[in-house]
Amino acid sequence: MQNMMQAFILLLAGFLVVFSVLILLIVVVTLYSKIIRAAQNAGEKKKAKKQNEDKQESAENNKVRAVTRAEIEDDDGEIPGEIVAVIAAAVDAVYGEKSHKIKSVRKSRPARSAWARAGVLQNTRPF
Amino acid sequence: MEILNQLGQIFLHLIQESGFGKLSWENYVMVGISFVLMYLAIKKQFEPLLLLPIAFGMCLVNLFPGIMGLPTTEMLTEAEMLARNLDPSTYTTTVYDGVTYYNHIEYGGLFYYLYQGVKLGIYPPLIFLGIGCMTDFGPLIANPKSFILGAAAQIGIFLTFIIATALGIFTPAEAASIAIIGGADGPTAIFVTTKLAPQLLGPIAVAAYSYMALVPIIQPPIMRALTTKKERSVVMGQLRPVSKLERVLFPIIVVVLVALLLPDAAPLVGMLMLGNLFKESGVVDRINKTAQNELMNIITIFLGVTVGATATGKVFLTVQTAGIIALGLFAFCLATACGVLFGKLMYIFTKGKVNPLIGSAGVSAVPMAARISQKVGQEENPGNFLLMHAMGPNVAGVIGSAVAAGVLLSVISPG
Repeated sequence: MQNMMQAFILLLAGFLVVFSVLILLIVVVTLYSKIIRAAQNAGEKKKAKKQNEDKQESAENNKVRAVTRAEIEDDDGEIPGEIVAVIAAAVDAVYGEKSHKIKSVRKSRPARSAWARAGVLQNTRPF
Repeated sequence: MEILNQLGQIFLHLIQESGFGKLSWENYVMVGISFVLMYLAIKKQFEPLLLLPIAFGMCLVNLFPGIMGLPTTEMLTEAEMLARNLDPSTYTTTVYDGVTYYNHIEYGGLFYYLYQGVKLGIYPPLIFLGIGCMTDFGPLIANPKSFILGAAAQIGIFLTFIIATALGIFTPAEAASIAIIGGADGPTAIFVTTKLAPQLLGPIAVAAYSYMALVPIIQPPIMRALTTKKERSVVMGQLRPVSKLERVLFPIIVVVLVALLLPDAAPLVGMLMLGNLFKESGVVDRINKTAQNELMNIITIFLGVTVGATATGKVFLTVQTAGIIALGLFAFCLATACGVLFGKLMYIFTKGKVNPLIGSAGVSAVPMAARISQKVGQEENPGNFLLMHAMGPNVAGVIGSAVAAGVLLSVISPG
């Protein structure tokens, strides 16, 4: 009889302790998950905002420089402003997140004349 | 004639010293049982990693009981030493009643020494370390309510404890050791039994691992009987992704809470969480791999063969063992039923968002019990994927059974 009494007490204690501990774990896990997610979301929003600002700033810089440079080139009658803008956009697409500046846009000129290039091609052509 | 006499005596001595002369019928029955277990492990692949070493240990100890023999110290006189061709100068002496005796130590059998890891409660926490390295607590963190189902399945342990006590043939410590089989967690069952009723270790370990192996046969009928077709067809929503920080913090938070609240569960939960921290931290890859592979395999071999070696004929073939096997099955079925019934409660409270089948995974048996939830769920709806949802209660069950073990160990005294 005493054993049975002890068994019933253990049954109740067991229920209470196991459920209490696991419910406490539910509360703690839920809370810390919420805190972490909130902190991470806040961090991500901040980062995204900063990235947007950087992008805008960089686009503005590129635009200003492109325009300036384009004006110079246009003065010489070599590179139209639209082409400089396209080049600036392409550079921005590649270096998007990194800070970058376009210092100049020059038209590349062939280093050799057409006759010289034909000679090099003739000598280096594979068998 | 003299030669024939001597030859006869030699053969007689060999026969007397062989197993044929020393073993009893119980040993032969146990060897037969070990063959059945080997068949189940090899042919049916029922938990072969543990069942095979257990079966072989059982076989070996019943053929050669000396392999589990205790170390002994014999006190011999000088004359006896010389008669045995032993050099007295290399032995320590004890003087008793004015006579000098030489302490002749006979070392124990191989399994006796390996068994100390079980007896001292070393192997089960080390197994938990390896389990921790292999466990993904992500589904549990994503859906912490799963802890409730892990707790519900432990009700079977406490109800079985009452019934085992009411039968009157078991002491409270023995009843608690039998009841823990309902947790469906081998290392926890061994850990509790070695502390409370080490004399029952053999039958309890064999019963626990056998029922874990039989999860695919035992659980589905109970799950189907307690749920409706509509409940079984519930498709649960996708779990949210869990960040690395949440995963890393989880084992630390759990171990702090459990060790403070239930110090008796600390060895098991502590090692489980240490293993998981190895995995989730991602900075100790070598240790993580060792704990879940080499260390785990070595401990599994030692644990398996030595637990099997406790099942000698005289200990195993008793009415008590039959009672343990029956009560263990009852505990396991009850744990499954309680898990499913709590799953039904969650189904009602969440207005049909929780599939009650995941409740049965609250008994540990990782990951088999979760797979059964998936399988039974897919029988109703082939497009239903419950596995990840069931893994939450499944790993919660491991923590829950360790907590239940802590309660039993802190309340019941050995005896």
